Order: sequence, then C-alpha cells, then structure tokens
Amino acid sequence: MLGRKRHPATDAKQVDWELAARAFAKAVHDGDIVNLRFLFGPFTPARATSSERFETEKYAYLLPDEEQERSREFQGVLDLVRSRSVWAHIQNELSMTRPPQLPSELVLALGDNALRQGKYTSAAQAYEMLRIRARMQELVLEAADESLDKGELTKAVRGYVTASGLEYDYAAFPEPLPKTPDYQMRALVLHGDYPVRPEDGLPLQETSHFVMTALGYLLMSSEIAARLERRPEDVRLAVLKELVESVDPAWREFVHRYREALELKREFAERIQRAIDARTAAQGASPRSLAGEIDDTLGADPGRMPVALLGREIEDGEWWQYLKELAFLHPAGILFVSRQFVGEKEIIVPLYREGCPVVHALGLLPGTAP
Amino acid sequence: MAETGDGYINFFEILGLNEEARPGEVRKVYRRRMKELVGEIARVEITQQRRARYLLEMAQLNAALLVLRENDTRDAYWSERQALIELEQKWRDAIAAKSDGADAFRRQFDGRLQAFLSKYCEEWMLAAGQDKECVEHSNWDAAHTRHASRILRFYRNDLYQKILERLPYAEVTPPSIDWKERARFVRGALDERN
Repeated sequence: MLGRKRHPATDAKQVDWELAARAFAKAVHDGDIVNLRFLFGPFTPARATSSERFETEKYAYLLPDEEQERSREFQGVLDLVRSRSVWAHIQNELSMTRPPQLPSELVLALGDNALRQGKYTSAAQAYEMLRIRARMQELVLEAADESLDKGELTKAVRGYVTASGLEYDYAAFPEPLPKTPDYQMRALVLHGDYPVRPEDGLPLQETSHFVMTALGYLLMSSEIAARLERRPEDVRLAVLKELVESVDPAWREFVHRYREALELKREFAERIQRAIDARTAAQGASPRSLAGEIDDTLGADPGRMPVALLGREIEDGEWWQYLKELAFLHPAGILFVSRQFVGEKEIIVPLYREGCPVVHALGLLPGTAP
Repeated sequence: MAETGDGYINFFEILGLNEEARPGEVRKVYRRRMKELVGEIARVEITQQRRARYLLEMAQLNAALLVLRENDTRDAYWSERQALIELEQKWRDAIAAKSDGADAFRRQFDGRLQAFLSKYCEEWMLAAGQDKECVEHSNWDAAHTRHASRILRFYRNDLYQKILERLPYAEVTPPSIDWKERARFVRGALDERN
C-alpha cells in the first residue's frame, strides 16, 4: 500500500516582515488591543514557528487597505513600529516561546489612538496594562472640568463621557475588565420598586434630584456625576441635555415616539374620565346608551403605550422587557417613563413632572424643540 | 480598618494583635471589637456606602476569628502567606538577575496569589457567616451573606490590584511616561473630535 505523501514538517516558513510591520502598525493605528495581542500570540502569522501566513485571505483583516496606508497618521505609526528598538523587541518576542512582553511604546500609542476614536474599552485595557489608566482618567476629568469652567459644553461632556469609558470593573469575573455600558441593568435598578405613590416615580422627583440621578445613570458613575454637583443648576441641566444627545444620536426619533405615547395616554385618561362621569351620572339618571359604552371600549388599547415608546411590539412582552430594550436603544428614554398597572397587566407609560425644565430642554412635549 | 501595606491580608493586623497572639487572646479581642462595631452600626444611620464598609469590617473580623482561633488553621494561613511573600521576592530576584526562570516564577506567583486571596478574602469570610460563634456575636444572617458576596469580590480585587501595582512589569515593557505630555495629549484629544 502506498503511503500518503507527507510534507516535511520542517518546511521553514519565511515570515514576510514587511507585511508583519504593516499588520502591527494597523493594530496600533486602529486602537485595536485584541489584534495587537493576537499578533504576539503563539499561533500568529508573524511567528516563524506558526503555520499561519499573512498572505492567506483569512488574515486580510490584519492588513491595512490602500487608503489607510496613504494616511499620514498610519505612516507615523509604521515609523514607530520600524524604529530600531521597537522592531528589535518585536522580533525578539516573536522568537521566544514564553508569554510575550508587548513593547510599551506601541501599547501607549494604541491606547491614545483608541481614545481618540472613542474605542474606550480598548484604550482602558491598554492604559491598564501600562498601569496609567486611573491617572489618565483623572487627567481627562480635569480637562473636562476646565472646559466646563470656560463654557465649552460639548468638549466638557465629551470629557466626562471619555472618563466614564475609561472606568474599569475590578470585580468582573474571571478577571478585571473595562466597564461597558450596561444601561439595561441600570434601568431595571432605577425602576426596581413599583411606585406606590405618584411621587415615588422616577420622573416625578424634584428637579435637582432628578438631574443628578440622570447624570449618574448616563455617566454610569456616581463619582463622575458628583463632580457636577457643585455646578449651578442651569449648567447641570445644559450638561444633561448635551449628554443625552451624546449617548443617543437617535434621540429625536425617541422624542417623536414619546409624543405619540403621550397622546395615547391622554386619550386613555379621557376615556377613563368619561367612564367615571357616566357611572356617576347613572346613579341618578337613566343608564348610558349601549352605543356610548361601545364607543368607550373602541379607543386605543393602553397596552400600545410601551409599543409606541419602543417603536416595536414584543410578543407577550412584560414591562421590564420593554424597559430594558428601551434603555439599550435610547438610554435617557427610561428617565421619562414609569411602571403602571392597567387592569391585570403592568406596563411602562410616559410620565414627566409638570414644569420640569429637563422635559422642555429635551423637547419631549409637543410644541417644544428637541 | 487596619490593612497590611503589602496587600496580603493580615488577620493579626485586622484584630490589632501581634503574630504571637494565642487563641484566647484572639477571642477576647474579637468579642470586644465586634461589640464596638455592632454598637456603632446601631447608633448611626445606614447609608449604602456605610453598609458596604460595615459588612466588610464584620466579615474581616469574623474571618480573623475563624482562622486564628485554631492553631492548625492559623499556622496553615500564616505559612501560606509567608510562602507567597517569599515567592514574590524570588520572582523579583529572578528578574533582577535576568534569569530565564523569571516567567515561571511569575506564573506560579500569580496563580498562588489569586488562590490565596480567593480563599481568605472570600471563602473564609463567607464561611465565617455560618460559624456559630461568629453568628452569635455579629448577628450575621442570610441577608448579610447576600450583600457581602459582591463586596468581598471587590475587596479581593482591590487587594490584588494593590499588589499588582508594585510588581515588575510582565505583560509590557516598563513605560516611560511624561505626565505633562499626557496632559497635553488629553486636551488635544478632546479638541480633535470637535
């Protein structure tokens, strides 16, 4: 029997170092900590001992496209990768079989690029490896405070959002990880208790308390929100407005749906009032006509309110399902709703405090501009 | 609450005792400290932050009693702690000597450190909540356990980070950071995305 022809296992692989340098530069330029780590990993195409090759299609994603290669920033990163000490370190690490030690110059440049591009988890991981994350976060907060002092609202909010993105969760399992947006969970906590009295509802809180709760929720950090506590109320309100639009670029879509839900609520309330009036009147007068009663039941189903708020129907959806999805799509939206029993079913309904400047600033009411 | 500077939890220090303290002394100090703590909790208004701090202090005192009141558990704990401190030093020495075995020491140290902190900062602290003597003095119940599990995980990671901060760099080469340049970068980065 003829034996299967085997390729010699010792086929020496020649790493294309030019491609490797461009792949390293792309990971750093993109602020992609996962790709950078992969390039140093045991099975990376950059290792001569690995059978993987950059030339294969599956690793095309590691290489820059022409447009990226032409950019000045990319060439700057490529020069850094090719610099004598960095390149020597890379080649040395790739020749070793122990866990790699990444060059801090590349990790720092990667963290900075990630921060510029808003890839906060990548930036936080890079800075954490360098043990400068907490201090970088403090620098960002100081810059944000300064911008707010100068009245540069957009820049200040960008700073607070960036600082919040650099938070780390040291209690994450199995190892510490960057904190990621978890509005779905935070929304459930905010609406955890059913509001027995109307004033218990989150949207009906006194304005300054409501603004601080909203800032803490949207910044995902009560410590960062606390920095704004000493600011005048109009500044906090302006920051909140800017923040809502910053974390939710599709806020205007929600505004339109919120108004629609408010209209449903108004119509439902009127219908209830008519029913109460009719019952009161019936006690002393002739019963209401059948046509009138049928008319009352033909109004829109109040169960449409969460559907209007979310923009889609969840089959047999519970209030918390609507709340979580709403928090994912429009984080700030959950600040203006409340839990409400309608008959046997609990739903979320739009709710706001009369005269609350936040509601007006965010354009949630008809006739106000978002 | 007293905490060791080096990050390895020291139950003697938590009770304010020296390492020669005998079980009788441990019990006496534990009871006094727990009585003071329970009294303080009854006197003040409990906020979320205070609740977390009191729970941690209570769990630390309970675990200190559980570990130190028996000679065998006390000796096992102390020798594990000492071995870990020695291993850290060995790793540092290996790095200073640029030895090839440095990475093996690092991996061994990291595994044992994580196991040590999990055991004494989480497992023993939660186990103490089931101990009759601890429950009697601290009134620890299921609600305490429920709240404490997350707080203890944070505590363990706090200690881990504290130790990690001072260890030699392993994953990356030691960076050279110019903080003035960093401040300029941050300001520039916030401007750039206008």
